[in-house]
Amino acid sequence: MFILFYDIMLFMITIEGVSKIYSTSSVALRDVSLHIKAGEFVSVIGQSGSGKTTLTKLLIAEENATKGKIKIGDWEITDIKANEIPFLRRQIGMIFQDYKLLPQKTVFENVAFALEVSGERNKRITHVVPQLLEIVGLSDRGNRYPYQLSGGEQQRVAIARSLAHRPKIIVADEPTGNLDTINTEEIIQILKKINEFGTTILLLTHNREVVNTLRRRVITLHGGQVVLDQEAGKYIL
Amino acid sequence: MISFERVAKFAFQDIVRNFGLSFMTVLILILMLLSVNTLWSVKVITNEAIGLIKEQVNVSIYFAANAGDKNVSEIEKYVRAFPEVINVQTQSAEEVLNSFKQRHALSKDVLGALDELNTNPFGPTMVIKTREPQDYKKIIQALSVPEYKDIIEAKSFDEHESAIERIQTMTNRTESVVAGLVLLFAAISFLIVFNTVRTAIHTQKTEISIKRLVGASSWFIRGPYWVESLIFSVVSLSATIAIIYTTLRFIDPYLSVVFPSGFSLTNYYNSHILYVFGIQFLSVLVLTVISSSLAMRRQLKV
Repeated sequence: MFILFYDIMLFMITIEGVSKIYSTSSVALRDVSLHIKAGEFVSVIGQSGSGKTTLTKLLIAEENATKGKIKIGDWEITDIKANEIPFLRRQIGMIFQDYKLLPQKTVFENVAFALEVSGERNKRITHVVPQLLEIVGLSDRGNRYPYQLSGGEQQRVAIARSLAHRPKIIVADEPTGNLDTINTEEIIQILKKINEFGTTILLLTHNREVVNTLRRRVITLHGGQVVLDQEAGKYIL
Repeated sequence: MISFERVAKFAFQDIVRNFGLSFMTVLILILMLLSVNTLWSVKVITNEAIGLIKEQVNVSIYFAANAGDKNVSEIEKYVRAFPEVINVQTQSAEEVLNSFKQRHALSKDVLGALDELNTNPFGPTMVIKTREPQDYKKIIQALSVPEYKDIIEAKSFDEHESAIERIQTMTNRTESVVAGLVLLFAAISFLIVFNTVRTAIHTQKTEISIKRLVGASSWFIRGPYWVESLIFSVVSLSATIAIIYTTLRFIDPYLSVVFPSGFSLTNYYNSHILYVFGIQFLSVLVLTVISSSLAMRRQLKV
């Protein structure tokens, strides 16, 4: 009984019986239940249209579930109020395949932007941003613009930005989709390093090699349903 | 304070990025405000003109030479009893004769002709002032009864009445045209502000999506557009005030010729500056804020 309670307390993401139905002919998620512990590194795999992106949107409250419950830590976000959404998103760092950097801002400004729009003081911003750039190995690139960086470097800027609010969870949606093998390896190493600090990582990917090398938990989605959930799993589709 | 500074910075960035549209928005708002001020000035000038005419308007009752003092004082008493009447001045036949002689002191022919008569041809005169020009009709009607037919020789008012009516008609027409223009410019401004904000949102789609992702509050996402509305209102009103005061420098000399009382629109605007421009500022702000809000409601999901 004590062990069960302890496990529940450790869950960072709890998804119970969640469905997302756009219309009768368009069901993105069907009765999905997942429990992800704090500090876990989980890969979510599945073909296009399997429901990976919808799952991400539900986690950051960009969309609401049609059915079921979603909890981040002990915070139920299923019916989250509009004014609470920004606070939720500060706890979930997002990384995308297309980096989503602002081209007219420098590397420093892109990372600082995340802190600026949440009302952080300038003093703290000038203190925190260099630390974040150091974590991703871009201390010497602060004054460069995104177009002056390689794809891997741009993704590292995006990772630094996602860490700005010291999130409890990082959701990386195909972070290596546009990268070559060397840069892919670098990004995965950074994610592993962040995970070692205790941050829960949710990696949504198509990359078989990455998943197989990681040898961490793998959740396989198909047709909006969880078809496989393996500890130290492999890419099976 | 920090967040307001940042939101203001984002707003200025938006304006610079969409400079053409922002310029058009401010221009249309200025045109609208200028129409409003034209309407306002026309109203002020008309009121001043009508006031001036009203002051000069009175009913003069010319009595027959044989009217008799008793009849005249009875009519004066009767007229004074009307609540609309504010002043009655009666001149006796002798006073009328004396004042006629004074007026024509240099005209020997006129005075000679008067001497030839050997009698005073003038009857007493009564000058009546009422609160409003339309009250004169009532007084004239009251005096146009058979009992006074032989005593009262003439009553003069009709010309003043038509002058006031003409001014009123002209003013009403001008006001209608300018009010139409104000509505037209208000509608155009509304659409232009709506479009400016919509375009700004569209051009900053990536920036807005990043703001959302990194947990920006609604104020940081929507705030810049509210601040833009405020900037549009302040800039357009400031420009309008500058244009109005410059124009008044040219208009006032003409007004001082028409209004010997020393009426000046500049003085009017100076003494009513907070009221006149305060109302206009609030109106423009409400218009731009409503328009931006609608654009955001359609385009911006936090």
